[in-house]
Amino acid sequence: MTNDNSLNFYSIFKWVIIIFFVVYAVFPFLWLVLASLKTNAELLDNPFKLPKVFQFQNYSNAIQEAGLIQLIINSLVISSCATFLNILFASMCAFAIARHIFWWKNVLFLMITAGILVPLNALIIPYYAIINFLNLYDTRLGLILVYCAVGLPVSTFILTEFFKGIPKEIEEASYLDGCNFLARYFRIMLPLALPGLATAGTFQFILCWNEFIYAMLLTSSTEIRTIQFGISYFTNEFFSDYVGMFAAVVVSILPSITVFILFQERVITGLTAGSVKG
Amino acid sequence: MKIKKDEVGWLLLFILPTLILFTLFFILPILFLLVSSFTNWDGIDAEFVGFENYIKLFNKKSFVRAITNNLYWCITAALITVPLGLIIALLLSHRSRGWKVFRTVLFVPQVVSSAAIAMLWAAVFNAEYGLLNFILDNIGLSNYKNHNWLGNVRTANAALIGFSLCYVGYFMVIMLAKTASISEDYYDAAKIDGASQIQKDFYITAPLIKSTFFLCIILAVIFNLRQFEYVYLMTAGGPANKTQVLVVYIWNELTVQRLGRGSAAGVIMIALGAMLLLILRRTLKSETYN
Repeated sequence: MTNDNSLNFYSIFKWVIIIFFVVYAVFPFLWLVLASLKTNAELLDNPFKLPKVFQFQNYSNAIQEAGLIQLIINSLVISSCATFLNILFASMCAFAIARHIFWWKNVLFLMITAGILVPLNALIIPYYAIINFLNLYDTRLGLILVYCAVGLPVSTFILTEFFKGIPKEIEEASYLDGCNFLARYFRIMLPLALPGLATAGTFQFILCWNEFIYAMLLTSSTEIRTIQFGISYFTNEFFSDYVGMFAAVVVSILPSITVFILFQERVITGLTAGSVKG
Repeated sequence: MKIKKDEVGWLLLFILPTLILFTLFFILPILFLLVSSFTNWDGIDAEFVGFENYIKLFNKKSFVRAITNNLYWCITAALITVPLGLIIALLLSHRSRGWKVFRTVLFVPQVVSSAAIAMLWAAVFNAEYGLLNFILDNIGLSNYKNHNWLGNVRTANAALIGFSLCYVGYFMVIMLAKTASISEDYYDAAKIDGASQIQKDFYITAPLIKSTFFLCIILAVIFNLRQFEYVYLMTAGGPANKTQVLVVYIWNELTVQRLGRGSAAGVIMIALGAMLLLILRRTLKSETYN
């Protein structure tokens, strides 16, 4: 808009605010990347000065020292399995609720979605006891089950809403043509609900990938440790090798940022979807 | 769709996995928590002790401190972070050139794990090599040279709160998404009436995304009640329990196997959450109807 002397106070204010928060959000990351390419001596010097020689060996050291590859593979396996199970179970339940009439379906839906509001971190003691009781302490399966379960309320909510939005006629036609329950789910609903599945799946995957407290609570051996829990060991592992630690943090952040940049829109809708309706 | 008799089995089978997991990881743990909070369970033996755990907790300075700190986090998020998110959302809702880039960049902290963010900001606040001290030193505040932000009783909480502002982007994105649903007609009418941009933002856009703003406040309160990683990894509740929060407190009880006491803290945390939600819903609802 070029009327009312547009270069006014408000548009200056606007850019100052936006730039300030952009700097606030990303500047620490850039600083970290730059610092991870220095020597420990250079780190104590001016943080904005470029290093004399880019110390790429910090990265190879860090990857070896912290066993980052193993940590990332562990996270990948656990998050993928948990997301697959979560979406499978949630979509089955959502299909039952959204497309069928039975007297207790509203109670069921309300109960499950109320789970979204429970501050789950208050339940670490019972979770610890239950997983121990099931003999699943320090196993991948234990962590997968917990991750799958804690995401169910949000996934069921997103998918039920999505299923409700798909026109009934298609399904009814297939019903008259003799499609049974399973065929309606696999052949009609799932293909039509792909965008919804992707949204819920993205949310769930990021939730699992970034999860910290249950990983610390329910696993102890290094073979199955996830990357997020691994991060908390960096301070000890690298001790006074700060730049090595920085390199390790950068490597652990990299997968999330790459995926985010590649699938921006999907990630943003995924992460905000659970909040669209109160 | 009405269910055919022979399909009831399938229907139940489809609900079953979710129902079992929900019972196992939501209903059962809550009941479990409630029961064990009245015992002195230590992992092996448990005896019923009545309200002893609760009484002991409320007499513990560090526990009361944890509750106050959690409230402090919630209030700052509701009064500072979310309103700031609203302002940025309003500014980006003009959709002037490059708004998508800014939106993406501001959202980055939300995508990265809280553990990594905690490590990153711990480095920013570090006394020896931290970014913050260098900047302060260079703009002339040299008495902060080598100041240990997270280790100092006076600055630890302030540093944590300052750090939490980097999450402004999450709330901004939720509110910004809502502005897309506002009809252009409002703005056209305002244009004819000669409204300036600032008037459009604060008299048209802001009131129309009010419900989303309230939703963000509720989300902010929930997130800040259950937050753990930042405090655990940056200060571990220290120095001198100054930055203690509820989940870290429960975690500490768990590691010394005082499971009954920890459960009582968990029950208090859930009750606090429910109370905050009720209060918020009531006040925000009456707000909406005014």
